[in-house]
Formats: sequence, structure tokens, C-alpha cells
Amino acid sequence: MIDLDRVSKTYEKGLPAVDEISLHVDKGEFVFLVGDSGSGKSTLIRLLLKEIEPTHGMITVNGHVLNTMKHKAVPAYRRDIGVVFQDFRLLGEMNVFENVALAMHAVGASGRVIRKRVPQCLKEVGLAEKYRNLPRQLSGGEQQRVAIARAIVNRPKILLADEPTGNLDPHNSYEIMKLLETINNNGTTVLVVTHDKELVDHFQKRVITMRRGTIARDVEEGGYIEA
Amino acid sequence: MRLSSLGYNIKQGIKNIARNKMFSIASIATMTACIFLFGVFFSIIMNVNAVRTDLEERVGVTVFFEEGTTDARMQEIGNEIKNLDHVTEVTFTSADEAWKIYQKDYFKNNPELAEGFKDNPIANSASYTVLVDKIENQDAVVHQIQTIQNVRQVNQSSGAAKTLRDFNRIFTYISIGVIIILLIVATILISNTVNVGITVRKDEIAIMKWIGATDHFVRMPFIVEGLLLGLIGSLLPLVILYFSYGWLVRTFLSRFNGLADMGQVLLNVGQLFRYLAPVGIILGVGIGLIGAASTVRKHLEV
Repeated sequence: MIDLDRVSKTYEKGLPAVDEISLHVDKGEFVFLVGDSGSGKSTLIRLLLKEIEPTHGMITVNGHVLNTMKHKAVPAYRRDIGVVFQDFRLLGEMNVFENVALAMHAVGASGRVIRKRVPQCLKEVGLAEKYRNLPRQLSGGEQQRVAIARAIVNRPKILLADEPTGNLDPHNSYEIMKLLETINNNGTTVLVVTHDKELVDHFQKRVITMRRGTIARDVEEGGYIEA
Repeated sequence: MRLSSLGYNIKQGIKNIARNKMFSIASIATMTACIFLFGVFFSIIMNVNAVRTDLEERVGVTVFFEEGTTDARMQEIGNEIKNLDHVTEVTFTSADEAWKIYQKDYFKNNPELAEGFKDNPIANSASYTVLVDKIENQDAVVHQIQTIQNVRQVNQSSGAAKTLRDFNRIFTYISIGVIIILLIVATILISNTVNVGITVRKDEIAIMKWIGATDHFVRMPFIVEGLLLGLIGSLLPLVILYFSYGWLVRTFLSRFNGLADMGQVLLNVGQLFRYLAPVGIILGVGIGLIGAASTVRKHLEV
């Protein structure tokens, strides 16, 4: 599903943010990506989104070789990947329904399909009743649920979550992680970047620890160990 | 693009206009001013053209014959002229008819003066009045008539039409210059409005890119915005011109009594808008599209 073969990324005039990383993630896996700030986690997410190009190495996702992928093919590739960010990135003037529907409009879904799928999706994340609310009328946990709904509404094969609980209290963090686990149980491959030791220890999933752009540790059903 | 996406993009384009109210109003106002001025210049040019065409149609060439030319020969000359290229009408005026017209023109207040002439004093003034299709062809026709045997003299009087044509040409050049400047200003303003829209929607654009929106989908609302600004900015002045044109023409003619006869020659609102409406709308929409497309290409990295 996700294959990185000796991938490096060096930004202008600096040390490599990602240095000769090789990694394989299977279909349906749940992976925690942990490590200090600046260890290369977010760069890895950006590489997987094809937002940036690797300096060296080859990246293959869902059978697509990203290095040779043409600009025109990027939108179709991204439709198979859902993304969630720490700061939710919802659109303030759109209500919950519209924020989620935006993802479906962007892929050209018809109004009929949108009206059917969005309520289903909001039900899955536990926000069926709040579809008319604006983001500012929701708690942090609820806003992140909307962001997750938006990320999965097009049924992506992979869900990338960059510090999804970074702005949340422990209770909401746990709930969000439970939600991500449910999504994973339904067949979506989930890759979560996090600093939250307690959550990593609690959920006992595969943990990849990064340090200075390299993979320092990769364990199945592991806990959070400082790199 | 699917119909649902098109509908969504049109809605987003309208929302963009509402979000950047001040810039949108400024763009529409500038576009309205430009297209209004364009409409005024266009109306003047079209009307001057109509007057010139009318004059040209009435300006003829008069052909006189050598003394002693027989009626039969005059008939032959008439046929030769009719067969020339660009000749549309040939009318014969006999010497007697010419003398009657002369009396009417010059002795209408003192008919007794004409009675002093026992014979026709302008017996050698039988003539053909020749009309040509375009004033540009008049010289060539005159030249050909002059080569016909027994033709004594050919008079042409195209001065007024030529003056009008020259005036119209100069006025057209000035109009084009002014309109180009105004259109550039309108394009820049629309471009700025769209640019503000892009800045305001930066987050939304980024999100759309992450979730797999195509470049076309991301750009479309901004193109729709420019197109709508151009369309509104062209429809407003056209409506104003449509309802004010009749009044403007009446006011113009009443101010200049000498031009009252022109009333029939000037274009009515229907004739004018047959050309002005499509040209104005195409211009407005075109500027909106160009302004938006150039900005989207420059400032929207997708």
C-alpha cells in the first residue's frame, strides 16, 4: 500500500529532513508515527501527499509511483487519501454539512449523492445532529470530527492524520483516536503522526519512531519510547 | 465538467462577488463606465456612418454632352454608362427639364424675369445623373465616363461625404484610444478583485487541493466571478443606453434645428442595439474573462 525506498528530502541549504528512509505499510494497517519536533514526520506526510518531491529515493502509494507521477494525475491520486490536521482547517463561513460536502464537490459528486452520503458520514463521526452548526459553535473535539468526516467522505484507501489530537484535551483525544481506530477497522489504512505517549501506549498499534530524519525504531503493537 | 460541479462553481463565483463587495462594486462601476462610454462612442460612429452613407447615396455625378449630340447618341451614352461597374442608377434630364428646374430654383420669387427668355438659355444642358454604389468608386467611374465619346463635362460633388468620412475616421481613432485605456483600467480592476478573492480563499483552495480537486475545479469559481463582473458591468450601461438613446437623439436634434432632416437618417434604438448589445456584452464578458484568467494563472498555484 505505502512503500518508501531509501527516500531523502533536503530543503534548501539544510540538513536532510528525511534521510534515506525505507518503509512499508500494508493495506489496512494502523501506524503511529512518533518522534520529536523536526524529526521528519510532517515532511513524510507531505511527501505522501505529493505536496513536495523527494530529493532521492522512490515512493509508491496504492500502486502509483509518485516520483514519475504527472501533475495532472495528482488530483486523482489524492482522492484515495484523506488528510486530517492538528488545526482542523475547517472553513469558518461554511456550516458542518458544507465543510464535509466541499470534499465531494471537489471530486465532482452529484448533489443527490452528496445529500445522501454527507449525513451518513456525519452519523459515523457522531455529529448527525449538528450539521447546520458553524465550526465556531463546536468544541475542539467536534471540529476534529468534522475534519475527519471531510477526510473520509470520499471513502479514501488511506487516512493521514498529522497530530490530530494536538489541540484536544485527553478525553477528546481518546475519542478521536477511537474514531480513527473504527475507520481503520472498516478497512482504511491509517497513519497517525502524534506526540501523545498515553494514546500510543493505550492503543498498542505499530509504532514507527523517527529521529533526525531517519527511522530509529519500528515495532508491531508497541508503545511510545523516546527516541 | 459535470453539471453539478458547474452549478457549484457558479454558486461559489457569486459568493466570491458577495464576499469582496467593495472590490466587486468598484469593478462593476468601472466596467459600467467603460461600456457606457463605448456605447456612446459606438452610437456616434454608427450614426455618423449612417448619415455619410445616406449622403453618399444621394451624391451623384452629372454628365453633360458636346454641342450637337443627337438624342440617339445621348441614349447610347446612357446605355454605356449603365453598363459600367459600380453604377447603380442613371437618370436623364433633358435641357427643357433642366431649364424648368433652373427657373424654379432661381426665379421662384420673380417668375416674370424668366419670361424674358424666349428660347431655352441652357439648351446645351441635357445631362445624366449617375449614382454609384460607394463613394470610393466615384473617381474611377468619372474617369471612365470622361473617356466616352461626345461627353463634354463630368461634374462630381462628393465633398460633404468625404468630409464626413474623414471626420468619422478621426473620431473612430480617438474613440478606440479612449476605449482601450478604459478597458485596460477595467481589466486591472477585475484582476485585483479576483486576486483578493484568491487571497481570501487561500485556505479553501489548499483544502480542495488536498482532497483531490482538479486545477480546473479550483480555478473555475474565479473565472465565473470575472465573467459575472464583466456581464453585470456590460448589462447595466446597455440598459441605461437603451432607455436614454431616444431622448438623447431628440435632444440633439432639437438643439440643432438645421439637423432636423437627419431624424430619418439616424438609427433608431432597435437598429443600434442590433450591433451594440452583442458587441457590448462580448466586450464586458471578454474583459472579465481575461482579467480573471490572467490573475488565476499568475496568483493561483494549483
